Amino acid sequence: MRTLAGLFGAFGVALLLVGLTFRASVEAPADLRFVNGAEPRTLDPGVMTGAPEGRIADALFEGLTVRDARTLRPAPGVARRWTLSADRRTYTFELRDDARWTDGRRVTAHDFVYAWRRLLDPQRGAEYAYILYPVRLAEAYHSYAARADALDGPVRRAFERLRAGSPAGVEAQAWRAFLAEHHVHDALAGTADPVLRDALAGRGARLEPDALARIGEALGRAAAHRRARARYAERHFGVDAGVFAPDEETLVVELVAPTPYFLELTAFYPSFPVPRLLVEAPVNAGDWFLPEKIVSNGPFRLERWDVNHRIRLVKSETYWGRDRVALQSVDVYAVENATTALNLYLTGAADWLPGVYPSDLVDVLRERPDFYRGPGLAVYYYRLNTTRPPFDDRRVRQAFALAIDRRSIVEDVLALGQRPATHFVPPGIPGYAPPESGLGFDPERARALLRSAGHPDGRDFPEVGILYNTSESHKKVAEVIADQLRRHLGISVVAYNQEWQAYQATTRALDYDMARAGWIGDYVDPNTFLDLWVTNGGNNQTGWSSPVYDALIRAAADVEGFAAAPEALLRRLREPRAARAGLAEMARARDPRARAAAAARLRMQLFREAEAILVQDEVPILPVYFYVASGLVKPHVGGFYAELEYDDGTRGPNLQDIHPLRAMRLVPGEVRTR
Amino acid sequence: MSGRWARGAWAVGAGLALLAGLAWLVGPSSALLLAAGLAAIGGVSWLPGRAVRVVGAALLAGTLFACGRGGLDAGPAAALALGVAALAARLLPVAALRRLAFAIPSLVLLVFVTTLLMYEAPGNPFAQERVASPQVEEALRAQYGVPRSGTAFFAVYMKRLLLDGSLGPAIKVQGRGVVDLLAPAVPISMALGLLALIIAVALGLLLGIRAGLRPQSAADYGSMGLAMLGISLPNFVIGAALMIVFALQLGWLPVAGWGGYAHLWLPAVTLALPYAAYIARLARSGTIEVMQQDFIRTARAKGLPERSVVLKHALKGALLPVVSFLGPAAAGILTGSFVVETLFGIPGMGQWFVKGALNRDYSVVLGTALFYATLITVFNLLVDLAYGWLDPRAVSEP
Amino acid sequence: MTRAAAGPWSDAWRRLRRNRLALAGVVVLIAIALACIAGPPLLGLDAETTHPQLRHEPPSLAHWFGTDALGRDFLARVLLGGRTSLLVGFAATLASVIVGVAYGAVAGYYGGRLDELLMRVVDFLYGIPYMFLVILIMLMFAETARGDPLPVFLALGLVQWLTMARIVRGEFLVLRNREFVLAARLIGAGDARIIFRHILPNALGPIVVYATLTVPAVIILESFLSFLGLGVALSWGQLVSEGVSVVNPIRSYWWLLVWPSVLLASTLLALNFVGDGLRDALDPRAQR
Repeated sequence: MRTLAGLFGAFGVALLLVGLTFRASVEAPADLRFVNGAEPRTLDPGVMTGAPEGRIADALFEGLTVRDARTLRPAPGVARRWTLSADRRTYTFELRDDARWTDGRRVTAHDFVYAWRRLLDPQRGAEYAYILYPVRLAEAYHSYAARADALDGPVRRAFERLRAGSPAGVEAQAWRAFLAEHHVHDALAGTADPVLRDALAGRGARLEPDALARIGEALGRAAAHRRARARYAERHFGVDAGVFAPDEETLVVELVAPTPYFLELTAFYPSFPVPRLLVEAPVNAGDWFLPEKIVSNGPFRLERWDVNHRIRLVKSETYWGRDRVALQSVDVYAVENATTALNLYLTGAADWLPGVYPSDLVDVLRERPDFYRGPGLAVYYYRLNTTRPPFDDRRVRQAFALAIDRRSIVEDVLALGQRPATHFVPPGIPGYAPPESGLGFDPERARALLRSAGHPDGRDFPEVGILYNTSESHKKVAEVIADQLRRHLGISVVAYNQEWQAYQATTRALDYDMARAGWIGDYVDPNTFLDLWVTNGGNNQTGWSSPVYDALIRAAADVEGFAAAPEALLRRLREPRAARAGLAEMARARDPRARAAAAARLRMQLFREAEAILVQDEVPILPVYFYVASGLVKPHVGGFYAELEYDDGTRGPNLQDIHPLRAMRLVPGEVRTR
Repeated sequence: MSGRWARGAWAVGAGLALLAGLAWLVGPSSALLLAAGLAAIGGVSWLPGRAVRVVGAALLAGTLFACGRGGLDAGPAAALALGVAALAARLLPVAALRRLAFAIPSLVLLVFVTTLLMYEAPGNPFAQERVASPQVEEALRAQYGVPRSGTAFFAVYMKRLLLDGSLGPAIKVQGRGVVDLLAPAVPISMALGLLALIIAVALGLLLGIRAGLRPQSAADYGSMGLAMLGISLPNFVIGAALMIVFALQLGWLPVAGWGGYAHLWLPAVTLALPYAAYIARLARSGTIEVMQQDFIRTARAKGLPERSVVLKHALKGALLPVVSFLGPAAAGILTGSFVVETLFGIPGMGQWFVKGALNRDYSVVLGTALFYATLITVFNLLVDLAYGWLDPRAVSEP
Repeated sequence: MTRAAAGPWSDAWRRLRRNRLALAGVVVLIAIALACIAGPPLLGLDAETTHPQLRHEPPSLAHWFGTDALGRDFLARVLLGGRTSLLVGFAATLASVIVGVAYGAVAGYYGGRLDELLMRVVDFLYGIPYMFLVILIMLMFAETARGDPLPVFLALGLVQWLTMARIVRGEFLVLRNREFVLAARLIGAGDARIIFRHILPNALGPIVVYATLTVPAVIILESFLSFLGLGVALSWGQLVSEGVSVVNPIRSYWWLLVWPSVLLASTLLALNFVGDGLRDALDPRAQR
């Protein structure tokens, strides 16, 4: 009996221990509970990235403008109203006097100046710093010192090695390798010297010593110029140039060029204000956003943050628009497993599921009345590694684009109403018409192109690896595409996965053939998609580079500048006539507003030219489909706009699938399930 | 004579092969360090008793100092550590000190090995989707104390651990130290693991003894068949099945998440089933063996009711092999909860263990590794003690 | 094989034949292995070609196991997955046997300080949470794997040899002092010869038993890796973890979970029964 008693005793002690270690926290459920996907890495809007973090940022903080819950159009936020100068380059924001931080202090223009300088601080390396590049001096402040260091350091050394290695002149191939490896285009661009221009474009057989000397000088000049600009920006940006605050309630923002989407940027979390006193206090180094410390200015405040589990948001009593915020509390769950997330929703433990559900169940889910979906401002594509065979050959890249049956993928594999993508910028951006007839599904032509590249029926074609980051739905798409390529091109293809970190390391090191990627627009403008592909852009990662493309993106960012000296670029366009017409229209316009409208149209035309290079001629990427935003939301959640009507008759949430919590409420009539 | 030479040759050959393998994996200099560490650990058993007292006490003092620094200033922590270590050196038996002299360097070596493996894995905690400038990465590395080389990181980490008693800042969850992250997660995993252990032992003993009392009967096949289910399917399948039946269909228990006691049951049962199966098998053969012994026959002959025969003797027979399995089982349950925690969305240690590795959050990885390794060491110790209590004749392994 | 070992082995075989569960296990194992290896070519199955229009078809005469999310024949997928799972299970076990036997034999045969040193290293490795090591090793190979299951063998084999080494060492410690070893040494046999020709055959029983029990453990571990998204190849573990996500009260593609689960469970059960049977047969007294 001693044994039995001992056994039960041990069980008793163990159970007691369970009870002691486990504290059941029985809290009243929040008004709204939703599954947010990944755990936020931080709640500092100057560091955050990604949709899950963005949902929380929009609840905790507020920028100069906010996005309307229905239309996404910018509406007054911390700024009560604003004016735009006649040249469309200077915004003057007037801040509301009842905007408050949760500690009761006023939200002032200086808070914004501080937050923007902080976002752009070159030492902090904020991922979204480039968002503010349209602001004058922002880019110089953020990156020119580092660029000058690079030009004076590694680039200069590599260039000198190149010169010293072949004093009689550098072969074209070696020069092109140098161009591909080193980031010199933007430093030398805009030069009037025809020799340099040809060298930059990679034209010409070889570079003579004389040309090399001139390039060397130009590099030196560019570095010096950049350094001077960086110094200037350091002194003036946020003080009396770029962005500055004449008084507490006025914020002046000077833009490099007219930027139609600027008021969307001020509603985007990287531009949100941060509480300077708190952030700068040494005791808060890097953790001012923890619940016990944080001060915020948005419709909600942070009450609890149980990492890996839940964030509890509570309505802020200091928010200027508090009368219109209906939810008293919100629970944000960090659950990444799609099955678990769906189960939570089905059992009523979550009210809203933004996209986190098993993709294989979409056939059933989309028939449910609480399911919503609509076009998203995002594109799913594959990168091609253009730095090595076989994809260094444009014909091969085009053949691949032609051999993918995108319709079958969106209709039979994804089955959520995604649209097949033969171009890169998602449809729905006002004023932008993407280039027509990209490379659609045409296996005959694909095989012909592959034949002309020296691989009839896929003969002697190396095995192609399709890399995707580990995920059910990426896997399905990759395997279907692998099968299609095998069938239509007769080549051997293997789809393989890597977890996220390894996948990033691999794509960054250009150690892949073909790699899956996706891009979600940060604002409703083609620029957020097309500026990815400029030479050595941070998200390029294909090794692809086109001087014409770079010039087009630059011209679109500064249409007035382009209008001043258009000839160099015009000659190289596919539809120069359209561009000329646009230029003429601009020239004709007498009234500034008409000129601005003409400039905006011309800008779209330039983007269209750029996109045509990307998806028809050069094809460093294979767009596959345009995302559909989707999710499940319980009928008792009101103020959730998932049924907006689009021009083409489809219904869905707004283009960015943004659902501000400040607009949501509980609908009294609807019975709440458990 | 030849035996001795051959022995030397074997040892050198094996050592070289091991070194070559390590060098291939982690590079030559790290391999040498690693080999040195292994030799140091192995050498502990050759140390004479007096040296063991010194080394063990010194190591204990260092460890205590590091632990004390978690909450104390350097002075009091040092005083406390030295005092306790001096007492330990006098009072503890040599065997215990030898165990310490092995366990503490083992943990250090574990940190080193884990660091090497982490640095070999592609990616790093500062990688962003967008390629950042090298200056930015350098600044972040300096801020978090993460140099580019694994050995340098090991030095930084050990220094911080020893002098400040700090496990370092978490990199991928900003603003918190590793301790801040793990502290709330540990009781969650502990509660889950303990409950699972109770369920596993109770269920395993029940099924195993039932089966062992009547071998080859229907009861035997039935019980063991049920028990075997636990080891024939991955536990995420079992967990999903339990979720569907008890949460989605019957609605008795919450399907996932964390909060009240109700949230504990499904994951605990899921976690327990494989171990219940092993325990059932052990208990069954233990019971069979004990029921064939003479004293059982004597007891029966004396007319003792079957119930008390079973409770008095069979239970003990069944328990002995189970107890020696408890150490590995407890360690396995606690370190193996990552699948269950992922499946049920429980914010415990297991999730950190997986997320740390996937995010390359070096300090979180090392923190969890240290925690688990300490736990395993402690469990093995406890099991040795428990075994000695149940069966005084049993001599624990050296 | 030494003559001395022949007797016990035939006894063992006799005992094994009487154990119906173990025999059934052997039959099931052979059947499953044959099906996985010979099934796809014999039945002319194609596991790669997708027919997205025919996705999620329940089992039918055309597709005995139904089709998956891309309309591929699920029977073919399950059989191919079985190849990987069995291969991973047996290859990792083989790796663990080779390392563990070599290590344990050296430690046990020579004994003394070398043994102490080697066993302390094993103790150290025991203290590491092994799943941790596996995950880290998998991450190390993540860049180069490209769907090749070799890293899985390595990673899983590398953590499985410890117990094997301990078992072998224990056997060797006992056997090295037996008469036949002394006799062999007297007639001038070298160490290698004694280890491989004389002691090892006599220690084979526990090795075989433990190896049989390692295979299912490895297969289960591989499924955990797949569940965490670290699996690299089509395996039962991967199919099962995918299947878990499509069985839900609102709609269940049950065949995607049931078939791989049934095959996985049968294989693991069979292996466990064979292992138990072998243990009883080889060492009738120690029914641990």
